[in-house]
Amino acid sequence: MPPLLELSAVTKRFGGLVANKDVSLAIGAGEIVGLIGPNGAGKTTLFNCLTGYLHPDAGRIVFAGADVTHARPERVCGLGIARTWQLVRTFGRMTVLENVVCGALKRHSRVGAARQRAWHLLEFTGLAPKADVLAANLTLADKKRLEIARALATEPRLLLLDEAMSGLTPAEMAAAVELVRRIHAELGLALCVVEHVMEVVMPLSQRVVVLDYGEVIAEGPPAEIARNEQVIKAYLGEHYRGR
Amino acid sequence: MDGSSGRRRARLALAAGVLLGLAYPIPLQWSGYTYFHTVGFLVLINAMLGVGWNVIGGWAGQFDFGPQVFFAIGAYTAAILFVHVGLSPWLGMLAGVLAAMGICALVTYPLTRLRGHYFAISTVAIWMIAQPIGATWEFINGSRGLFIPMQGAQGVLGATASLQFAGRTKALGYYYVAFGLLGLTLWLLRLVEHSKLGFYFRAIRDDQEGAEGIGIDSRLYKVIARSITAAVFAAGGVLYGFWALAVFPEQVLDLNWSTLPIMATVVGGIGRLWGPVLGAVILIPISQIMSTTLGTGPLAGRGIDLIVYGVIIVLIAALRPTGILSLPWSRWARRLAGRPASGRLVGHG
Amino acid sequence: MTLLLQAIVNGLEMGFLYALVAVGLTIIWGLMEMINFAHGEFLMLGMFGAWWASVAFGLDPLLSIVPVGLAMYALGVLVYRQLMRRVQRGDPFTQIFATVGLLFLLQNSAVAVFTSDYRYLSDTLLTRLSGANVNLLGITIGVPLLIGALLALVLFLALYLLIDRTEFGLALRATAEDREAAMLVGIRPQKMFAVAWGLGAALVAVAGAILANFFAVFPQVGFPFTVLAYAIVALGGFGSILGTLLAALLVGVVQSVTTVYLPPAFKDAFVFASYIVIGLCRPQGLFGRF
Repeated sequence: MPPLLELSAVTKRFGGLVANKDVSLAIGAGEIVGLIGPNGAGKTTLFNCLTGYLHPDAGRIVFAGADVTHARPERVCGLGIARTWQLVRTFGRMTVLENVVCGALKRHSRVGAARQRAWHLLEFTGLAPKADVLAANLTLADKKRLEIARALATEPRLLLLDEAMSGLTPAEMAAAVELVRRIHAELGLALCVVEHVMEVVMPLSQRVVVLDYGEVIAEGPPAEIARNEQVIKAYLGEHYRGR
Repeated sequence: MDGSSGRRRARLALAAGVLLGLAYPIPLQWSGYTYFHTVGFLVLINAMLGVGWNVIGGWAGQFDFGPQVFFAIGAYTAAILFVHVGLSPWLGMLAGVLAAMGICALVTYPLTRLRGHYFAISTVAIWMIAQPIGATWEFINGSRGLFIPMQGAQGVLGATASLQFAGRTKALGYYYVAFGLLGLTLWLLRLVEHSKLGFYFRAIRDDQEGAEGIGIDSRLYKVIARSITAAVFAAGGVLYGFWALAVFPEQVLDLNWSTLPIMATVVGGIGRLWGPVLGAVILIPISQIMSTTLGTGPLAGRGIDLIVYGVIIVLIAALRPTGILSLPWSRWARRLAGRPASGRLVGHG
Repeated sequence: MTLLLQAIVNGLEMGFLYALVAVGLTIIWGLMEMINFAHGEFLMLGMFGAWWASVAFGLDPLLSIVPVGLAMYALGVLVYRQLMRRVQRGDPFTQIFATVGLLFLLQNSAVAVFTSDYRYLSDTLLTRLSGANVNLLGITIGVPLLIGALLALVLFLALYLLIDRTEFGLALRATAEDREAAMLVGIRPQKMFAVAWGLGAALVAVAGAILANFFAVFPQVGFPFTVLAYAIVALGGFGSILGTLLAALLVGVVQSVTTVYLPPAFKDAFVFASYIVIGLCRPQGLFGRF
């Protein structure tokens, strides 16, 4: 069976800068893949290419048999890829419930049905007590959680989390990791988790892909990656550069 | 508990408003002095346009400076169909609304590539292009304009069917038609507000990238939002054309057809369905009251009313950009009734 | 052919004046990213200032640009301090409302004071020269407009040097680029924004004082210039001073060539059509760097 998502030799340039160079990777149905790399390694650019906000200059992206290399974000979402954002993009002047309803409307065009689905997800993510709070008034941790709930509401087969843990306190981070595990275990989604802090992503992922300067420098089970010379060097280099 | 009592208060306010609106012209009609009917008519038509502008401006969050183009398209479509084909104004209104929506969709789709201030300027640009077309296009009589002949229909039903009221009941007739159209607009847009469209519009307003990420085609829904605005403006244009019995390019393309409804929306409460109605009720009579009180004095016709508008808008923008409806009315009402709303408020007592 | 060349030359002359009209907006909108729909009202005030100075004190508009510019600088700073600073951080819509309110306020205050009558300046240096022409290869160049255009060009270039070559200009651009970073190096952003508004108002008012030699002075004169200025700034590539000059020349030429072939009503239609087309094909503007 072919993998759910397959990137072959994806390259994205900004002027003279190569943000992604010949990136090839695959994510199977129901898999959790960690995507790590130092700051500026091209992780977010790759996510933007995957979700249709940017289009690669070369290479091909195939999701569930459909070529999405040049698809717009709304079509990518329709096919079953959902994402969250490093800098949160919740709908600030709408309530928590309304935010999730917007997501659920992708699969249920009647507001009533969408609202039911949204409630279900608010309960799943533990946001139900805050259903009537305006999204702008949430804490950062809750905003990130809301983004996950909203993304889940579009009923994706693959969820891309862009630094869902960054900026959280250790307790919030633990809760977020727990939520990700439950999404994987109970909803059976494939997940691709971008983090630049290795410690978060290692225990979570079944497989880890390491990007540095836009290129895949290593790929494998977490334990193997942790011992990989090149990866250690890339991260040490970052420490040396002063992060 | 609080929600349901709030809803009951809202329903009471709505009923009171409808009754007041219906009864307003009756005592004036007895006295035979119909000037204030016209004030009421202008309030209602501007309220209706404001409610329409709210869709693109307040919900979808795109500043539209050029909806008067669709006001003109509506007015011209119905007038031409009436003059040349003898089509009923109501069918003409339908045609005008459809024409405005179609043209709006075609024109707006490319413009949605522009965002923020740049989109706003592009709507001005479309208006700047529409003006010379209106002034020179021979098919619609260029700057000479179109006159709408009176049909002389009999009775209330006949007058309503031909959208032509004359004589003593002229002002009264147009008042009630405007009242009905405003009611229809509010009812339809309330449905839109609570539908998928309403959610999607607001999602785009709050974060366009975020909205696209959950599968919303932002360009498509901006076009839909502006087309709904265009439909309301077109209907308003038809009503205005038959009220004025003429359609002139400078008149139907006047910038005031967007600035007044926008100001009403801002003053009342942008993004709230009833905001523009409240704003129009506050703003529009100022102009009429000024011209009555200043009479023929030295300051008459010197734009004093517009200075007042300017001051109000500046104050709203600086102090309460979300408008009058967004003020904590229910808390104040509770305090007036002597019931502190919460412990926190008691201290302010 | 001569007709076309003549139109181009006329358009270039107007273009220099448009450049001075628009460049204040380049600073406020393009560089500092604040919107101002009352831009043309500042121009209108400049025109009235020149008219009043001429009628009351017999001061020629070419001289009254100094007091007019200073007074309008003060007004611009005042508008920023009292109004725009409050609406700067919030929803961008609020800036639009605030300046549209300002537009109504200023325009109609002028109506209240001066009435809506058209006023013309007479017996100024430039109006006395009217009829004086320079003939060049069959093309007639009116001397008054030429002097006005050259004056505008000189002021424009002075501004360019101020923004591009001085410490002050650097501070202004740094604030536009990144407020927080500017604060770290000791620049006070509030002050920079106030200066930008002062400069913007002063420049467009000076342009108005020069234009008062050629156009009727009346309270509603501003708005068409406002929309024209927006088109010019957008075409020029937001925030690029020299881009503004090139775009203004282009707009002047498009306007004047259009009137050769089409009814005068279409004068602005082509300018705005090109705004839309260029906005869609090249969102960074014709002369933007990116």
